[in-house]
Amino acid sequence: MKLKYVLTPGWWGVVPSLTLLAIFVMYPLWQVLQISSLKWDGVVAGESIGFGNYVRLFSDADLGRSLITTLTLAVFVLPIFVTLSAIIAIELEGTKFERVIKAILFLPGLWTIGASAIGWYTLYAPDYGIIATITNGAVALPWGDQGWAALTLVGAFTIWQNIGYAVLVVSAGLKGIPQETLEAARVDGANENQVRWKIVIPLLRPSLTFLAVIGGLYALQSYTAVYLLTRGGPFGSTRVLGYFLYETAFEKFEFGYGAALSMVALLLAFTFAALQARALRGSEQ
Amino acid sequence: MKTARLSGTWFGKIIVGIVLVFVTLPILWLAYSAFLPPDAVFKTDGIPTGFTLENFAKLPFDTLIRPLILSLIVSSLVVMLQLTVSLPAAYAIRSGAKLLPLYLLLLSIPAELMLIPIYGLLKDLGLLNNPLALVFPFIANPFIVFLLYSGIAKLPWTFIEAARLDGANNLQILLKIVAPLLRPEMTAAAVLGFAAHWNLVLYPKVVLDNPQWWTVQVALTEMLRKDPNAWGKLGAAAMLTSLPILILYIIFESRVTKTLEGGLK
Repeated sequence: MKLKYVLTPGWWGVVPSLTLLAIFVMYPLWQVLQISSLKWDGVVAGESIGFGNYVRLFSDADLGRSLITTLTLAVFVLPIFVTLSAIIAIELEGTKFERVIKAILFLPGLWTIGASAIGWYTLYAPDYGIIATITNGAVALPWGDQGWAALTLVGAFTIWQNIGYAVLVVSAGLKGIPQETLEAARVDGANENQVRWKIVIPLLRPSLTFLAVIGGLYALQSYTAVYLLTRGGPFGSTRVLGYFLYETAFEKFEFGYGAALSMVALLLAFTFAALQARALRGSEQ
Repeated sequence: MKTARLSGTWFGKIIVGIVLVFVTLPILWLAYSAFLPPDAVFKTDGIPTGFTLENFAKLPFDTLIRPLILSLIVSSLVVMLQLTVSLPAAYAIRSGAKLLPLYLLLLSIPAELMLIPIYGLLKDLGLLNNPLALVFPFIANPFIVFLLYSGIAKLPWTFIEAARLDGANNLQILLKIVAPLLRPEMTAAAVLGFAAHWNLVLYPKVVLDNPQWWTVQVALTEMLRKDPNAWGKLGAAAMLTSLPILILYIIFESRVTKTLEGGLK
């Protein structure tokens, strides 16, 4: 009986996928733990230093700063990200431009990312950018020397890349609201503003919660944008956790400490994933 | 189910307008700057003008065209392998293999976390500076399995059970029934999988530092680092390398957005 339960029809289908996942995801995950106990430069064999790397985590001011940077980015980007996508999805719902505008908004998420970086750089750079050039520097985001400007740039780029997907998320939630619910509210004398704020927004809560969680993950993973646009600078002001990890391992060649940082990233990601699971379960009720 | 209809507001329209400009501006600027003459950057009064195809003609082969071709080949190959491996996995899970939670868990592992251990693993396997490093780790992709599973979960399962009763084996069911019915999801998965692999930046830089194996993103990053003010050249490189994505998107856009939106319901 047990055997029949395990060997479902077509069970062999998972074998290639699981084997590859075991080699290239699960085994490396276990490896991170091992590497995190080493002092290793990535070239010659590492030497074991026990919990040394983890002890270092607690006294590393740069890590503290990096976590604050990551958090700042998330705190500033999330409300804008969620609010914008809700406004856009509600505005587009059922209009004749809905499909084409959603298609345009989704495009940056797929666009060749190095090309996107070029577009952003030559458009907004405070020194070489077209906007700064034609306004003689009057309109420019001074991301070369101001930390807040660099962080704004990374946040704006992250929103630019992901807004299309976010609108799709809210849109899917909107389409799940039955027309009768809205009609009933209108029959009871609710005006359009009340329908919007008292009916639609509360019913969208699961979608918006989901967005807030994936938005947090995007903030955690904004290291590619950081690498492309600011390289962590100026003065480390955009060194988000993912970038800090990359820099530690592949520019300073401290793989052991980088692996310990990876464990911190994993912890954060699983916390977000748990929140996401809870948010999704909430939406099913 | 009927869709909820809401009346629009002026405020909403203004926001949509601003965001549309914000989203399209970098892309439109790239398309414009690609045709600007090289001396346009030195003109400091007003919007630079001019038209030339010279930027495209001068794009370097070794440090751009070659990486572009390599990326096209490798990303296409990866997508084909991803679908080949993921479809049977999704089918097995729908048939009752209780592995969905595992796939969802693996889905939430952040990519940057894998950089260090994969580097170590590839080093042990002797695959550093080998283009196969761009292939093997990406074949099994939990997101694609999940996307295809969501599609299979919507199929009328009685179909498949009837086919089983008629004596069709699982391979036949997979190839003759499931795959054709799942074309929209497979297309969406292929486009998203291609874009995800195509847009890797740090990973190829880390595992392949020999310029011979530069991918398109590494090439673009290097070009931007070297000539940050060569608008025309950069624009031309950016537009040329975005063409594959643009073409894929124009052909398959509705399948991608509909599948994603449908999967979110």
